[in-house]
Amino acid sequence: MTMTRVPNSLIDDLADDLAPVEPIRLSHGIALVALSAVATVILVELLDGLWRGIVSGQASGVFFIVNGMLGMVGAASALAVLRMARPRVGNTHEGARWSSAMLFLLPLTALAVLGVGGMTTALFDDPYGAGCFLAGAAFGLVTAAALVLWLRRGAPVSLNAAGTYTGIAAGAIGSFAFGLACPIDTIGHLGIWHVAPVALMALAGRFAIPPLVRW
Amino acid sequence: MIADEASMAQMMAASQKGDRAMYRALLIEVQLWLERYFRKRVAPAQLDDLVQEVLLAVHAKRATWDPTRAFYPWLAAIARYRWIDHLRKVYRSAEDELGDHDAAEDSEEEAVMARMSLERLFVHLPDKQAEVIELVKIEGLTISEASAKTGQSESLVKVNIHRGLKKLSALVEKAE
Repeated sequence: MTMTRVPNSLIDDLADDLAPVEPIRLSHGIALVALSAVATVILVELLDGLWRGIVSGQASGVFFIVNGMLGMVGAASALAVLRMARPRVGNTHEGARWSSAMLFLLPLTALAVLGVGGMTTALFDDPYGAGCFLAGAAFGLVTAAALVLWLRRGAPVSLNAAGTYTGIAAGAIGSFAFGLACPIDTIGHLGIWHVAPVALMALAGRFAIPPLVRW
Repeated sequence: MIADEASMAQMMAASQKGDRAMYRALLIEVQLWLERYFRKRVAPAQLDDLVQEVLLAVHAKRATWDPTRAFYPWLAAIARYRWIDHLRKVYRSAEDELGDHDAAEDSEEEAVMARMSLERLFVHLPDKQAEVIELVKIEGLTISEASAKTGQSESLVKVNIHRGLKKLSALVEKAE
């Protein structure tokens, strides 16, 4: 049985319409995300001022661990999103999934170290908590915008996952950048209020981004 | 016989560089592959539309294929995406048809009601798209009849239907 259901005129039209295209390069996407991260850090420096204690040896080990983890989660999730723009049956995003799960270690550590009472205090009596939470999420919007633009150029086929990981990457990079301006380097503060933007942005991304990148 | 992976990748790489002859050959192979891929997964009457939608998607998103990777997994991802989209549409029209079974056959009133509910969505579409969707999807005209009636070329009718349905589908999704 010969299958020539689609009139060849359509194929002829598409062929006639053909113009050379530059394949979407992953390296360009990585450069875009790196630039947005740098721009975010510059924005934090301009608006809040980076914490000079980082270079003068005042920052605790927890400070470097938490911000390092946020940076790594941001990078892994952003990479997953960049790859989603080029669809392929067989694409997996295990790196982003596991590194995001790893972030839950931080509030769990806060709970283990502080106990329920200390955790309650950290949640309800931290005068800077809500500010860091909102600032981290807000600074994440730079990365979110860059990734959404990238996805719109591409052909994402897992829209909900693309939205969620865009949110995670944005929240993590935003919180990482703002973390460089925050001198409160205890696990009670960082493990809760600097991780919360990632959860918020993941949720926001899951619902807000699919309509923006649908094609 | 459908071309092997290496040939398809070669043709697609040439297509990305603007080689129209290669692209035409590629699309013919893609069309055959899609017809087999979808054959048992969509109603025969809807196969044309779905294959056509995927061909348009392949055309629009050809820059997203990575020349260092295999071609078929890329095509399959796009085909699956469009297929799921298509199922959503079929599901909704099936619901409408179920409703029609209870009414008198070819009830004028039912048809008017169906059109009314779609008319509200049509507000968001350019007239050309709304017109051909109405003619082909609601009144049941063929592409060529719609083409003759509207003065749009057959390809344009298809493209306008495709674009219009995509917009309608996005609106329905948004409502959910």
